[in-house]
Amino acid sequence: MSATVPTYTAGDYRTDLKPVWCAGCGDFGALTALYRAMAEQQWNPWETVVVSGIGCSSRLPGYVATYGFNGIHGRALTLATGVKVARPELHVVAVGGDGDGLAFGGNHFLHSCRRNLDVTYLLMDNEIYGLTKGQVAPTTPQGDKTKSTYYGNPEPSFDPCELAISVGATWVGRAFSGDVKGTVGLISKALAHRGFAFLNIMSPCVTWRGEDQFKSFKAKARPLPEGHDRTSRAAALVFTREKDVMSLGVLYEIKAPSLIDRLAEMKVLASSKQTKEPTTDDIVRSFLPKL
Amino acid sequence: MPSRELTLGIVGSGGDGVVTVGDIISQAAAFEGLNVIKTEAYGPQIRGGESSCNVRIAVKHIEAQADRVDVLVVFNWPDFNRFKGEMLPGDDAIILYEASDPTPVPEGIATKAQKIAVPFVQIATESAGTKAAKNIVTLGLLAELFNVSKDAIRAAITKRFSGKKAGLLDANMKGFEAGIAYAKTLGSVAEAKKLEYVKGSPKVLLSGNEACAIGALHAGCRFFAGYPITPSSEVLHFLSEWLPRLGGSVVQTEDELSAIGAVVGASFAGVKSMTSTSGPGLSLMTETLGLAAMAEVPTVVWNVQRGGPSTGLPTKSEQSDLFQAVFAGHGDQPRVVLSAEDVETCFHATVDAFNLAEEYQIPVIILADQAIAQRRETIRPESFQHAVVGRRVPTAEEMAPYRRYKETADGVSPMSFPGIKEGIYQTNGLEHDESGRPNSMHLMHEKMSAKRYRKLRPIRDKHQDFYRMGPEKADLGVLCWGSSKGPVLEAMEAANAAGAKVAAFSPKMLYPFPKAPFLEFLKSVNQILVIEVSYAAQFYKYIRTFVDLPEGRVKVFARSGGKNLTVPEVAEQIRKTLTDKPMREEVLI
Repeated sequence: MSATVPTYTAGDYRTDLKPVWCAGCGDFGALTALYRAMAEQQWNPWETVVVSGIGCSSRLPGYVATYGFNGIHGRALTLATGVKVARPELHVVAVGGDGDGLAFGGNHFLHSCRRNLDVTYLLMDNEIYGLTKGQVAPTTPQGDKTKSTYYGNPEPSFDPCELAISVGATWVGRAFSGDVKGTVGLISKALAHRGFAFLNIMSPCVTWRGEDQFKSFKAKARPLPEGHDRTSRAAALVFTREKDVMSLGVLYEIKAPSLIDRLAEMKVLASSKQTKEPTTDDIVRSFLPKL
Repeated sequence: MPSRELTLGIVGSGGDGVVTVGDIISQAAAFEGLNVIKTEAYGPQIRGGESSCNVRIAVKHIEAQADRVDVLVVFNWPDFNRFKGEMLPGDDAIILYEASDPTPVPEGIATKAQKIAVPFVQIATESAGTKAAKNIVTLGLLAELFNVSKDAIRAAITKRFSGKKAGLLDANMKGFEAGIAYAKTLGSVAEAKKLEYVKGSPKVLLSGNEACAIGALHAGCRFFAGYPITPSSEVLHFLSEWLPRLGGSVVQTEDELSAIGAVVGASFAGVKSMTSTSGPGLSLMTETLGLAAMAEVPTVVWNVQRGGPSTGLPTKSEQSDLFQAVFAGHGDQPRVVLSAEDVETCFHATVDAFNLAEEYQIPVIILADQAIAQRRETIRPESFQHAVVGRRVPTAEEMAPYRRYKETADGVSPMSFPGIKEGIYQTNGLEHDESGRPNSMHLMHEKMSAKRYRKLRPIRDKHQDFYRMGPEKADLGVLCWGSSKGPVLEAMEAANAAGAKVAAFSPKMLYPFPKAPFLEFLKSVNQILVIEVSYAAQFYKYIRTFVDLPEGRVKVFARSGGKNLTVPEVAEQIRKTLTDKPMREEVLI
């Protein structure tokens, strides 16, 4: 960053809408970190779009003073795809929870990773359904009792970071919203990445997972070891499906052309055959015999 | 006496090149300025299996495919038998069939027809060196026997095969000339069916799906997302070539949920966008259409109807997505539904859809069906003109302060998009106030519902398009929509030419329903006949949600799809309704 006075402070990205979240919700930390990370990037609010689906954390676009679209359950990344492909010059951030992104929107998550869609995806992972009041989620540990698993969760969970690394995301990180400073740094890096940047933010739910979850996250959190080779898929996968620890940092980062880069190349290729942009009449007449 | 019209039917297996014969002869007739409607039918197999092609060529403008064929080419009788009831030779047809086919000519077909065994395979092998050229040999025979311009066919063959494997064009040309030579040995078998016409200026031959895609480009669409589905994938194919040439992008998404989401996202970002699909895809898109209605995002969906429900008849037509298009979705959500009636109106309806979507910030569904989306038809190149409406962006006054959902007289608020500095807003699928902030109070919901529904009024009053056909006063009024309009129009004209007084009404805008002109039409006719390709009579029931039809004067002809509606079918219903006492039948449940 240059030495000049920055145009935007974190407060400039805040709307005057009060979050609906419960007192002590981990999403406050993620939101605060997002304001500060946007200020670090000095993104123009009118050139930034935050999209989401449905869930507690999906309310977030209403609290950010950029363009925002709180859509429907599971489809945040579909909106993000349209915004970014149609207007590649915009900054696009998709946000949401584990149910929205991994259960309902799982397919869109896989394919956004595969395409290396040039957006940032912030997943606030609380290992539970909060908005619908406490049912089991795809990231809830096996055996945990929830409102919908009276005898304990019969299903294994998955690690979203492992998934993202496996299917083509080019930047994958893990943060803990209780560590706001660390989360700012990670969100800022994710925003700056060209390609699909996925940050799993462990974000405790005090209402449905109790204080224990926060304490457990805090106790398990530790930075990735120094010297971790984040360009290596194999090295990154070592820090997924962890049980007793929760490694925070940039797990994986590579440079690769994004969907936007490839579509831009196609536009160049397509227009190389023509001397000017075709009109409707040109298109129609291409179906007539050459005279 | 030579003829002013000719219908060809060609039947074979997938590898016989049946469709190529139809394509090339249709293309040649289009080059000559003739009018053509070409349809194809397939079995469900991906490769191989039976296929058929029906080409109607006429000097005058035509509205529908023909029911009976004048000339039938059969490469394989077992394949012909699979199209029984769909491919009918006229009584005096000329039937050219493969001489080496071991299956005998079926008994009882077109007893008065001339049935001529032609060694297509042998001629092809001897002239072009491959039996694969038998379809091109067929073209030679057809050109010579029925007077379709040989030069135009040569041009069409050249267009098709130039740039392909070396020697292929040359071999095909040899096959074509050999076909002509063979036809000359047959003498004057086809004198009465020879086409007589004056060459006109060339027309373009397009499918409804292609016409839709051109309409989208013309309207300024620069983003398309879609998932392949029969019978609408040609829109995706066409735009994948052309959109990048105009600076736009195509994304083939992982499913229809994603396609419609991306379209809403792109449109929110200020770029005109659309998707194309068929019934099953539209079902998946339903929830997001509600989001588009709630957030007031211009959204265009091209839906090509096929036989349903479920997987149904994926390759065949039906008019049974009407209820889904108009009513599907939870909550009270305004949208617009337009119809296309033939290939040319696929272009115009698409531009209209973009115009309405942009002007009123509303989802617009265009209902086509397989019968028009996949048939190829000639259009004058000058016809592709249609005014285009852009987005209403906020004025400086409206920016201070900007309210995305500001109350206005017509319900349309100024719509900003990313990149506009003073126009920042956050929107959502939650009920919201004028600024877009979530609000779940009853009074706000009432006020905003009223605002959204208010937009439908000017849409209905300013854009209620419909076709009113036939005499001003008539004994019988036929009600139809979409692809049924063509056969109804031809049957109506034939009945009137024979002295009857029949009129017809077909709404171009299905929702909001053009009630005022419809009531005028009802007053101008005595009896009423509803014609539609929906077993459950969706159109009849749909009309009655707005206007009750008079007791004792209504007859409903509603049948399931799988076969396109034909002129004789409609003619028969018109005749029966005029002669029998019509009654208001209790249509199913």
